[in-house]
Amino acid sequence: MRLAVTGLGSFVGARVIEALLEADPEQPIVGLDLELPASLEDRIAFRPVDLTGPAADARIAEILREQRSDTVLHTAFFGTPHRDVEYAHELEVVGSLHLLNAIGATGIEKLVVMSSAEVYGPHPDNPNFLTEQHALRGHPDAHSVRDRVEVERLVRLFAARHPRARAVTLRPAAVVGPSIRNRFTRHFDAKRVTTLLGYDPLMQFLHEDDLIDAVLLALDRDLGGPFNLSGSGVLPLSTLLRLAGKRNWPCPHPLLYTLRYLDSVGRSADPPQAFYDYLRFLWVVDGSRAVRELGFSPLYTSKEAWMSFVVSRKLEAYV
Amino acid sequence: MKGGAPANATPERNEFEELRNSISALREELETRFDLGSRVPRNAASPPPSGAAARDRVSELEGLGLDPIELFERARRWMPQRWGAARSAEVDEFGLDPVHLERVRPLLDFLFERWWRVQVAGAENLESADGERLLFVSNRSGILPYDGLMIAHAVERHHPGRRPRFLVADWLATLPFLQPGLARIGGIRACTENAERLLLRGEAVVAFPEGRKGALKLYRDRYRLQRFGRGGFVSLAVRSRAKVIPVAVVGAEEAHPMLLRLDLATRLLGVPFPVTPTFPHLGPLGLVPLPARWRIRFGEPVHFDRVESQRADDPLYVSRAREQIRGKIQSLLDAEVYARGSVWR
Repeated sequence: MRLAVTGLGSFVGARVIEALLEADPEQPIVGLDLELPASLEDRIAFRPVDLTGPAADARIAEILREQRSDTVLHTAFFGTPHRDVEYAHELEVVGSLHLLNAIGATGIEKLVVMSSAEVYGPHPDNPNFLTEQHALRGHPDAHSVRDRVEVERLVRLFAARHPRARAVTLRPAAVVGPSIRNRFTRHFDAKRVTTLLGYDPLMQFLHEDDLIDAVLLALDRDLGGPFNLSGSGVLPLSTLLRLAGKRNWPCPHPLLYTLRYLDSVGRSADPPQAFYDYLRFLWVVDGSRAVRELGFSPLYTSKEAWMSFVVSRKLEAYV
Repeated sequence: MKGGAPANATPERNEFEELRNSISALREELETRFDLGSRVPRNAASPPPSGAAARDRVSELEGLGLDPIELFERARRWMPQRWGAARSAEVDEFGLDPVHLERVRPLLDFLFERWWRVQVAGAENLESADGERLLFVSNRSGILPYDGLMIAHAVERHHPGRRPRFLVADWLATLPFLQPGLARIGGIRACTENAERLLLRGEAVVAFPEGRKGALKLYRDRYRLQRFGRGGFVSLAVRSRAKVIPVAVVGAEEAHPMLLRLDLATRLLGVPFPVTPTFPHLGPLGLVPLPARWRIRFGEPVHFDRVESQRADDPLYVSRAREQIRGKIQSLLDAEVYARGSVWR
């Protein structure tokens, strides 16, 4: 496998490269990003590329040919929603478009794109388990989720135009663990966690190590299409907080959405419901396709992933 | 290593002794301060204890035959340590919490045995192998899903360990406060994906094809089945090769007889606003259901295991089977309503 990776600074990009280099230090990897993180210097080939640039597609195609890459891992997405909606859209959607065009031009047959189970969206009429066939309804107010849905659409179009190509999109449930930082870990890091009064949805988690395993499997297997990823089991939000020994702050959602509105537009560009609806309605996925076809076997159940996150944060507080 | 155990034992025993001494000292202190130790009536010779007002109140309670410490202890045991502590750390994949279910079981038993005095008929139709897929199809009545709960309870009494999950209409399954409670005792949002997943897992499922129309019908339309949706339950039974058991529930219509619906309030609140003989003018008291006598009758099962699975997508077949089952339930209902003498006895 000759791999090209976008998003060297992203959690998945950095960890997957580490795992591959650990297995085989001579593994040919080319990094496509604005700059090379210091930890990867002299370990992988690096070509500076601005995915949002006007001629980015031609430049990427040139690099992929030069490196004789046969597999692309696309992880250039923000883990936590970026404040600058315009820039986030440019990078995530237009950047993906450029990358897909370049891949189409060079005839690469394997592509793995990081998406998220958030693309299904929290909706009161979701079934208890969402399968890969379910419509991607996203959340109308969450710009990061809107962009991911758009990227998924682009990947589907790409797959339809290039039937020989294997395009995998991975849709992990909320990812938690000792080192990952995203909007869920940030929310649950608070001493007193804000919850919505009268709502207690079932939640589902994936451990960060399992996520990396799944990406490695997806790179390896000759398969295409979307895959949900999740640890087994679900737990109500109230039980999670009790397991973590955290107090919650139940707030009626109309009040919270009004009060937090001004506060949140300044900080994250999205109204509060873009996040809190994910703590209000179900968006649990059925991860059985990945288990069946990819051979993915998560080491952590949802509960164990959550406990790993909680315990690591408690330890950090002492160190 | 061998010498470790006896050497450790002495300080442990010392600690234990210390603890016991301090507890007995504390008890003596409490008894002298509040004069609680003397269960026998105090005699005039005893020295007057401090805290006269508190003592008076205590002796008042004692005069009534109530022991304040005992009362406090009972209240403390009854209250959970913290809200939510009476729940298990594991739920099944649809959110049923076995610990919570055991906790509310006395209440469900009370409703079943004492309040509605439910009589079960046709229990011989419940005979089924373990893991056989059962789909109970019933008439729906009243806004709150008492009927699903009671059917689940009735089945479980005949088949311990086999508690069907009941489906709850969308608008009810997404209401704040109600939804988490329902999910914990086995309610699930009604949709084909959920029901199919449950049946394939070998669970029994209670479905109400009338849905919202059944729940919102007025008292004058009682026991008249509404339209049976689009027959999703027939396709479901055919696809998952489940056995359909028609169920008639009589008495649930009188638990909360809906005299009229306030359409304006419904539009404003987004949830149906019923007017019953007790609600809303009695306030929260109006939420107490009336104690009508219930009868739950299980009809003869309808088998779909020899039907080819393509029939699930054949609209004519589905509507015929749907109407056939609807007719069965209606005739069970008519027979039961005709046979009962009084609503209350």
